[in-house]
Amino acid sequence: MSRDVGRFRILLAVILPFLSLTGCERGSDEDATTTLRWYVFKEQSGAFEQAAGRCSKASGGRYRLKLEYLPTDADLQRELLVRRLAAGDRDIDLIGMDVIWTAEFAEAGWILPWPDDRANRVRAGCIAGPLASGSYQGRLWAAPFTTNTQLLWYRTDRVSEAPPTWDAMIDAAESIGPGGLIQAQGERYEGLTVFFVSLLVSAGGSVLDESGRRVSLETGPTRRALEVMRRLARSPASDPSLASRREDQCRLAFESGDSAFMFNYTYVWPSARANAPEVAEHMGWARWPAVDPSRASRVSVGGINLGVGAHGRHPDLAFEAAECLASEQNQRLAARLGGLPPTLSKLYDDPEVRDVFPFAEVLRATLADAVQRPRTPLYSDISIAISRTLHPLSEIDPERDVERLRQAVRRALNSEGLL
Amino acid sequence: MSRFGLDERRLGWLLCAPAVLAMLLVTAYPIGYAVWLSLHRYDLRFPDRQSFVGLANYASVLTSEVWWRSVFNTLLVTAGSVAVELLLGFALALVMHRALVGRIAVRTASLVPYAIITVVAALGWRFAFDPTTGFVNALLGIDQAWLSERWSAFFVIIATEIWKTTPFVALLLLAGLTLVPPDLIRAARVDGATAWQRLRYITLPLMKPAILVALLFRTLDAFRIFDTIYVQTRGAQDTESVSILAYQALIARLNLGLGSAVSVLIFIGTLLIALFYVRLFGSDVLGRAGERR
Amino acid sequence: MSGKSVETQGSLSERLFWRFTVLVLVLYALLPVAWLTSLSLKPAGDLTDRRFFPRTISLEHYAAVLTDPQFPAALGNSLGIGLIATGISVALATLAAYAIVRLRFPGRRAVLIGALAVAMFPPIAVIGPLFDLWRLLGLFDTWLGLILPYISLTLPLAIWTIAAFFREIPWELEQAARVDGATRMQAFRLVILPLVAPGVFASAILVFIFAWNDFLFAAALTSTTDSRTVPVAIAFFTGSSRFDQPTGSIAAASVLVTLPVVALVLVFQRRIVAGLTAGAVKG
Repeated sequence: MSRDVGRFRILLAVILPFLSLTGCERGSDEDATTTLRWYVFKEQSGAFEQAAGRCSKASGGRYRLKLEYLPTDADLQRELLVRRLAAGDRDIDLIGMDVIWTAEFAEAGWILPWPDDRANRVRAGCIAGPLASGSYQGRLWAAPFTTNTQLLWYRTDRVSEAPPTWDAMIDAAESIGPGGLIQAQGERYEGLTVFFVSLLVSAGGSVLDESGRRVSLETGPTRRALEVMRRLARSPASDPSLASRREDQCRLAFESGDSAFMFNYTYVWPSARANAPEVAEHMGWARWPAVDPSRASRVSVGGINLGVGAHGRHPDLAFEAAECLASEQNQRLAARLGGLPPTLSKLYDDPEVRDVFPFAEVLRATLADAVQRPRTPLYSDISIAISRTLHPLSEIDPERDVERLRQAVRRALNSEGLL
Repeated sequence: MSRFGLDERRLGWLLCAPAVLAMLLVTAYPIGYAVWLSLHRYDLRFPDRQSFVGLANYASVLTSEVWWRSVFNTLLVTAGSVAVELLLGFALALVMHRALVGRIAVRTASLVPYAIITVVAALGWRFAFDPTTGFVNALLGIDQAWLSERWSAFFVIIATEIWKTTPFVALLLLAGLTLVPPDLIRAARVDGATAWQRLRYITLPLMKPAILVALLFRTLDAFRIFDTIYVQTRGAQDTESVSILAYQALIARLNLGLGSAVSVLIFIGTLLIALFYVRLFGSDVLGRAGERR
Repeated sequence: MSGKSVETQGSLSERLFWRFTVLVLVLYALLPVAWLTSLSLKPAGDLTDRRFFPRTISLEHYAAVLTDPQFPAALGNSLGIGLIATGISVALATLAAYAIVRLRFPGRRAVLIGALAVAMFPPIAVIGPLFDLWRLLGLFDTWLGLILPYISLTLPLAIWTIAAFFREIPWELEQAARVDGATRMQAFRLVILPLVAPGVFASAILVFIFAWNDFLFAAALTSTTDSRTVPVAIAFFTGSSRFDQPTGSIAAASVLVTLPVVALVLVFQRRIVAGLTAGAVKG
């Protein structure tokens, strides 16, 4: 018997060092320079790395920013971060936050509010839409860093000018015939919610009331928005794959040349110029068409704000680094290298930035009165409820679905029921 | 004798103890915890609002249209894939059993689907059926967005499952097939039995245990389908399985109370399936199942 | 195994038929692997050409995957976690299987049936509680946090297969060794273990494949390159732009992790089959 025990000890002795391997790794890079981990999506041009390098250098060795990449998909990014934050992970110093996370992260106590003096510096000169996206209940929780919004992209060789309304656009696309497809995001995911919210607000409605605690979804505008979606989905000009289209599939389809219109973010411009120059040559841009001819369209704001993790070990340094990252020169860098629209208004007059965004004026104007997606800690649940109820777009029944949508959003707001 | 017996007993327990403890650690204890969680409102995003809610979470799940649809989806995938796998697996087993040339080639090749990572297989098929990257549409000369429509998405999901697990079924059935004595077949043939009669009255009855085992394991396996659906549709187009639903509630929404209620219901579902097989085929199906695993 | 084919040796046409069938089956089994390989070799511009075979071959996706820090880290995690879990699981299972087959003690049948119940257990049912426990214990996103569930959930498979192999062993040899004065441990180590080693090895391969394959636990209980394994890394691959699906990189990574498994299967196919169907031959 004692021999058996001895064997077991040997076994343990062999195994234990392996088990503790993971534990050792983290503590080892302790020196005078504090490492700050910045969780952010992977930006291909290297603009984020360069900005991080600049700020680390400027700190004079007090901190060093290390980038940790998040997955491609926005839902996955959130899923992953939220899991770590709920686990009380102390390694999360800085977060490149999608604009829709602000309320949830703030309410759950996962990020710290910005101190007043820093917040005031960050607010100065920022475009209204992006600024509002980082704020919640009167405080600034995340500093606007890069922003984004969708424009209407169209083929100047197939339509003479951008149609003023959705109906006019669908008519125009249908009359083109082959080569007249419309590209929009109809997959059941966040992009569908973005699409709906933009249409709803363009029609004069809103998802939640002012307090953010009660469902609004006024009948008139909601039905109007649903009618537009349904008409688009059932039109012969709609892409047959609409129900599985995300932004990038739209871009690829547009670059293949058989589409006349596309709703998408600004990254499609440099992409078309690189991958499909013959398409880029005839690419025009405009603000989204209006739903109601008497009311200008309003489009959802996207982008990345910088939040400071509440469990991090060095919040003060993290705020300092975040402010540096969001500075004018780094925003210019992100625009120039990565094609990411800045949040500071005056950069849109900068010749270098104008070079990257020939559509700078339209972009700034759209951003100035951009729509915020519902600002509630339960946003992700509400978004799922919306995209689930409306997908697939071709089966929307505007009469019936206004009420279904209200029901679904109400249940999500009460945090009950499966989604 | 008795002293030796005692010693043997103690040694037996001692040797089994680590394995038993390890198995309990990740099943019995957590499932108990899941039951406790399922009786509470417990959302990790709002830790302050924790409270005992009794069976409210279960009521919420069981009255939800989403839950029942996912149950239907799961059963659909289970029935669809297991039925086809059994037929295909049987054919594959016959080939492996009879082929003179290339028996090793078939066996090795058929192990590839078994050994490949499910996520990789699911991605491979997703890319194949994708309208922009895939070759399937070009091959068939059609323009079908497979994964963006409910039934065609189910088709792709079930096809992936079938591709992945048929070899496993075939190997189990092959093992049963080798139990059929060649002499018996030969004798029946001499007596003028047709191929169908030989299959129906000799081979199949003798293979019954192997078939049952394959059926039991594959049904339970298919019932917990997660990876393939997660990778191919993430539950879009109403293709959610019960496991996807639980994962969304637990991990994406961090609503541990509600998600645990779903988990417990899935656990009960598994028990019901096992019970169903025991009822249908007698309790020794379990013993045989172990024998053949 | 079954030795001679049961029925006829067949005429030439029959033989051709079998050859053709075999070919079809091999193609069927290898189709997705071939497809991913071809996809991974297409240059980025050709990814959407919808052809099965690449027009030109490019290794750019392999270069991208191997220079990206995510993938090599995941490979290391998968190998490390898989091997440790396999080692422990098989070691514990060997002890238990020996006891079950060789020793008489009340409850041995219960252990077998209990193991079977665990094999049928739906893993999703414990994901929530484990996540909550692991975050409290600090096991979230660590190797140990994955090794523990993998051990537990592979033990049934390991116990049953190893027990099946133990049953085939001529136990008189152990008896003889004991008579010659060997202790139980010595007899086990010197006589029994070498005999059962092929079976243990076969079950180790199966256990490793299970751990290597798992997506659910790895997706829920890890979050960074510290412990993220290959299936999750591939499924969550970071694309070049926020809206971009890195198809080429995913395909390349898939091929890289599939080839070793195919090699393993090629080399050890006999043992894997034996392990999968252990006990069945005996009937």
